[in-house]
Amino acid sequence: MRRARSLADLALAALCLWAAWYHTPPGALLRTALARLLGGRGATPALLSYYGAGARPLQLAEPLPPRAALSPGAALGLGAQSALERASPADRAQVLARAGLRSGSTDALGDWIGREAQRQGSREAAVLSLFCGEEAARFARDRAGGARGAATLEELARQLPPRYADRVGLAATALTLGTAYALAWPLPDSAQVTSFFGVRAHPLLGGRRFHSGIDLGVPVGTPVRAAAEGVVRRASDDRVSGRLVLLDHGSGVSTVYCHNDALLVAPGDAVAKGQVIALSGNSGLSTGPHLHYQLDLPQGPADPLLFRGARPPQFAAGGTEP
Amino acid sequence: MPVPESAPPAGALDAAARLADRLRWFFLPLALCALVAVGVHTAADVVGELILRMVDAADAAFDGLAARWTLTAPLVDLVGPSQRVFFARGVALLWELVADALLALPMLGYDERADEVKRFRQLAAKAWARPTTLRLVHPLATGAVALAGSCAVGRLLEGTLHFGLRGAVGSAADALARGCALAAVLGLVAFIAWRAVVHALVRADARSDRIPLRRARAFTVGLPGALLLLPLALAALRAAPLLSFLR
Repeated sequence: MRRARSLADLALAALCLWAAWYHTPPGALLRTALARLLGGRGATPALLSYYGAGARPLQLAEPLPPRAALSPGAALGLGAQSALERASPADRAQVLARAGLRSGSTDALGDWIGREAQRQGSREAAVLSLFCGEEAARFARDRAGGARGAATLEELARQLPPRYADRVGLAATALTLGTAYALAWPLPDSAQVTSFFGVRAHPLLGGRRFHSGIDLGVPVGTPVRAAAEGVVRRASDDRVSGRLVLLDHGSGVSTVYCHNDALLVAPGDAVAKGQVIALSGNSGLSTGPHLHYQLDLPQGPADPLLFRGARPPQFAAGGTEP
Repeated sequence: MPVPESAPPAGALDAAARLADRLRWFFLPLALCALVAVGVHTAADVVGELILRMVDAADAAFDGLAARWTLTAPLVDLVGPSQRVFFARGVALLWELVADALLALPMLGYDERADEVKRFRQLAAKAWARPTTLRLVHPLATGAVALAGSCAVGRLLEGTLHFGLRGAVGSAADALARGCALAAVLGLVAFIAWRAVVHALVRADARSDRIPLRRARAFTVGLPGALLLLPLALAALRAAPLLSFLR
């Protein structure tokens, strides 16, 4: 009897150690070390990726061609297409074949995800279905859903075995890019860009510094609109950024609006796409009335113009910092 | 005279059972430690959102302070919006590691006894009669994270079997995987998780006995650790979807 118990205990202990290998920081470190030692393929360990290590940088080589604002479905199709381009040719072919798609065009992918979102109940499950297969998406949705409504991709991914880690990474990229491509512009199209994204000479603090967003010159009191639906994570005031609003749009995408004159929302508020969230101004460290508009992705700040398509027609000389 | 047949050689299963019996002292503490660590990680996943909100509030307060003086103004960008998620996850990792140090690592000192149930009853009665922060919080937190860990192990097994067996047994894979996962969760709770609670109780009792007999000290010793562990324990209960194995 005792020996049988020992055998059962040994089996349970093996299960515990197996889970710890995948679901604890030491396990992730050991897996990474082992992968490096054996010179295996450098699949980003999911756990380290969760903690920020090994996040793959976004490479958007070319600005998007000028276009009208994308619908959420088309934006998700474009996001999925961009994510598929990161997969190996074999993986890409497998994903498309499983989805019954002959081409990986934006429209085809967008339509497929739209249909699947209706079947699966959420766009997260639909994108997971595209990259991991319908069976995996249904399995994850059934286990994660419960009574708490649509689950996030993270919650869905937690239900899947580790072999899906790479595919889940692609799904996450597709959702992030799809969310970013669907962003609207926070100001009227006529607003001029007075300072672009990237390293530039800082007129007030001195030296060359990284400008993490773009400046749009507009008169004080211009309505600033939410680029997409989301939740207000921060609505604060300081002497550098002035009155700022930070919106979390989900899937790792957030937008920041600085130097406002007045804030019309509070932390925790849910906002709709296009809702006026602030009135632009000249607060904080600034040389003139403008809106500092910043787009943040999991990999860091990104140039909002890359996700807007057509650049504003004019570039005004002179800076409105920071 | 016929030579009597020797006893049949012990089967491989019997040999494995004997080996497992001899190695209990080695693998049981490891199993306890691993199960609690998995549970702590599962709970840390859940508190991530809470931490992100705390980081947002702290960042806003810090920016408000740093922006007052020209010299410190550049520090406003130190934790910008883009680093907030990374920073929040850093805090979550730190929280997880502290919880591992308080709950999981001590499990390596587990010393199995034949009278575990009796020992548990005695210590639980003592904790009820002479409560201290350590006696109350550590066993409860250990129980909560061990339960969450059991569910995480069960889900990992279920997913692996579900997708691994589908090719061989078709649609029966779902029921088979679900049954194995449920059995594993119940087995873990019955044979591993409760031992972790007993060991947490033993350690908490030993440390509590060293506290001088003053009522205030009984509740202040271990209080910082308890404040760290309680939210994690509540998150662990939320991360233990026992019913999802039955749905």
